[in-house]
Formats: sequence, structure tokens, C-alpha cells
Amino acid sequence: MANGGAGPLKNWTSMTVRILLVDDHPIVRQGLKTLLEGRSGWEVVGEAADGVEAVEKAKNLKPDVMVLDVTMPKMNGLEACRVLRLQAPQLEILFVTQHDSPQMMREALEAGARGYVVKSNAARDLLAAVEAVSEHRVFTVLNGRGTLGLH
Amino acid sequence: MKLRILLADDHEIVRRGLRALLEKREGWEVCGEAIDGRDAIEKALQLKPDVVIVDIGMPHLNGLDTTRQLLQHDPQFKVIVLTITDSDQVIREALDAGARGFVLKSDAARDLVSAVEALQNKRMFFTPRVNDLVLAGFLEKGHAISRSHAPTLPTLTAREREITQLLAEGNSSKEVACLLNLSTKTVETHRSNIMRKLSFHSIRDLVVYAIKNNLIQIELPPPPPKTPTGPTAV
Repeated sequence: MANGGAGPLKNWTSMTVRILLVDDHPIVRQGLKTLLEGRSGWEVVGEAADGVEAVEKAKNLKPDVMVLDVTMPKMNGLEACRVLRLQAPQLEILFVTQHDSPQMMREALEAGARGYVVKSNAARDLLAAVEAVSEHRVFTVLNGRGTLGLH
Repeated sequence: MKLRILLADDHEIVRRGLRALLEKREGWEVCGEAIDGRDAIEKALQLKPDVVIVDIGMPHLNGLDTTRQLLQHDPQFKVIVLTITDSDQVIREALDAGARGFVLKSDAARDLVSAVEALQNKRMFFTPRVNDLVLAGFLEKGHAISRSHAPTLPTLTAREREITQLLAEGNSSKEVACLLNLSTKTVETHRSNIMRKLSFHSIRDLVVYAIKNNLIQIELPPPPPKTPTGPTAV
């Protein structure tokens, strides 16, 4: 949904898209970080390893975009998304997950996410996905047998 | 001379993370990346890395069978298996396959560098749980016990295991034939043999078997929320 023509979501002081990475595997977070920090104007401001930490860090760091895994200990990504939808309505959430499933994608969007990409194609889709959600556009891509929707 | 490492994982994001971790070490170089087990074997034979790091859950040819086949080609290969689970069965199979290192993916950021260092110094590296098994005498009693409690996996040949994995991943016999450079008829024969050996009647049985025996790994979706959040569109 367009932001009334206000343009991409940016921190007005630094014109940077501030991104919080949430995944229970540090290696995955490292991989996401190397990909994202290659883009000028994007900054990974923090990392979290579970949904509880994600909610807390979102409150403290106030990122523009959260890249969020689904399956995590303590609080899974869907639950975290529902909580954040209420607590941080400006935050745009992009799921990056193993679950290549239209049903899961539907649940993610219903939970309040703006984007959904599958981990196996994250290297291909992540940058376009973060760009889209930072501009309040929906971005969803599944593999082969799933649905494909770019809005 | 640099220590040369080959990475095998079907997720590019994971390979990027592993590369970033490993290449921080001076003198270490990621000499290649593979996207599945077959690719890993081809690249290992071509690049002759000092260490091969394989994800256990790769498509087409899983990490354990990749390890077995690599060591059949050349027993000098040093393989570290990366896995999301450290169940007794997975540990047993990794050791039986000939892996010299065993690291949980969730702990890779902490343990993988130590694992590669260990292999570089001609030692092995396993998670503490594996050490517990050793202390419990599991490995000392060795294959006699491991076989008596082992799944029926060893009754399948290496080729039959490959085909089982590919079928369980959803490939048709024709697609399997294409992947393995076999005729469809040959694949169908193998399929019949597999079903007969394991007394299976449907592909569903095969899928369940493949999951239980770590030929494929699945990540279960999270449970549904306990309290409804409101009307849900269908």
C-alpha cells in the first residue's frame, strides 16, 4: 500500500534504511548481513536470535525494516509479527523463511508482514524484497510450485 | 600455503555466512562452493580442498551420502558435517560415513572455526554430545551395537539410497533418471526393489522413511497461535 506519495521509508536524519535481522542461526544472519550491507544507504542496526529478543530490539532500535525468520525458539516469527504489528505499526516486516508454502505465506501476511521470501532464494530476492517493503510495497515470492506475487 | 575449504550447502545465504566467518582467518581460503551433494563431489575432485564442509540436508544427494562417496573416491578427504540436529542416529551415521567433524548449524558461528582448526591439525572435532556418547562406551562397543539398533538404511545400496532421496523429494522416476543419467526403466527397477526391500506400498511410506533416516530433512511449521487474533480471511 503506497504511503500517500510520501516516498520510501527512511530515517529523516540520515536517509538510511535501518534493518534489524532476526534468525536463530548466527550464520544465516551473517549471510544476510553481507548481502544487505553491500547496498549503499542500508544499515543493519542490530540482530536478534528469537522472537522475544526481536520485539525488545525493535522497541529499542526502532528499525525501518525487520528481516524475520519463522521458526525460532521462545517466540516464533509469526507470533513476533503479530505483537510488533500492535507495538510498532511503522515497522515493515519481511519474512525470510524455509517454508515454501502458500499457506504459511498467507498466515505471514495476515499476521501483518509486508513481504515473504524463501531462504533458498534469499540471495536472489532479498534486496528487491527489502527495497519493496521499505517503500511499503508488498513483495512475496515462493519457489516453483508455490504462488508468485509481486505487488 | 593457504588452507583451502570447499563449502557445500544448498542455501546461498548460508554459504555467504560461512564464507564471511572462515575468510576472516588469515591463511584460510574458500576455494569453491557447491549447491548440492553431486556438485560437492564434482568440485571436491576438481579442486582438491583441504577441508570440505557439507550441510547434512542437501537436495539430490544429502550430506551423509556425499561424505561416504567422497571418502570412497579418496579417503584423504577431510569432511565436516553441518547439521540442524545432533540426535544419536545422526551422530552415528556421520561417524559411520567417515566425517571427521560434526557441528550444529546453530553453533556454527562459535564452533566451525575450531572444527576447521582441528582438522587442519589432523584432529577430529565433534560436539560435546558426541563426546558423551564416546564416554558412554557407545563407540567402543562399536558397530555391533550400532547395527543392532540401526535403521534399515544399510540394507539399501548406495544407488538405492540416492534414488530414495530423490523420490522422497518429489521427483518422478523420469526426473530421477535425468538427474542420475539413467534410463527411466532402470530407475523404475530400482524403485520396485526399494519398495519391495522396505515392504512399502506407497510413496508416502518412502517419504516418511526418508525423513526418519535423515535422507531428507524438514523444518516443521510453528504451531498455530493459542488465541485467535480476530476474524481470519480464508
